[in-house]
Amino acid sequence: QATATDQLVGFGLVAFSLVLFVYYTVWIIVLPFMDSDHGIHQFFLPREYAVIIPVAAGLLLLLFIGVFIMSVMWKSRKHTKKSD
Amino acid sequence: MTKLAQWLCGLALLGSAWAALALAPPGLQPPAPLRQALLPLPVYLLVAFGCYSLATVGYRLATFNDCEEAAAEL
Repeated sequence: QATATDQLVGFGLVAFSLVLFVYYTVWIIVLPFMDSDHGIHQFFLPREYAVIIPVAAGLLLLLFIGVFIMSVMWKSRKHTKKSD
Repeated sequence: MTKLAQWLCGLALLGSAWAALALAPPGLQPPAPLRQALLPLPVYLLVAFGCYSLATVGYRLATFNDCEEAAAEL
């Protein structure tokens, strides 16, 4: 049995990604087939954001990964210099 | 043929199919709603794949049984 926090975080991730997937699917695939005066459109941003937001988020993710790798390499280099 | 080559061929096939539909001249374009759903499709597939991997990581995290004996060893 996994620990309680593990289960909480794990199922939380599952729920979050499910919500994200459903929202994004409706946004990209379902909305173009709904009439423009249907009430559902008020819950969704203009369509351009459906592309801009994931691209920006992906770039941010790459930025964080790069910064993390840089910081880890920096710290390891300082430790080897100290041992000399 | 290596697995990488297979994946690249599949990607190239899907990519060219998408490009053919998306860049079609005005006479041959698919109907408007279909076209509106088609254009962001690569981004959509990337996001869908990201969601699937996040969900898989989360589910495996939640269902991985603790090994108390191994933890005691450490």
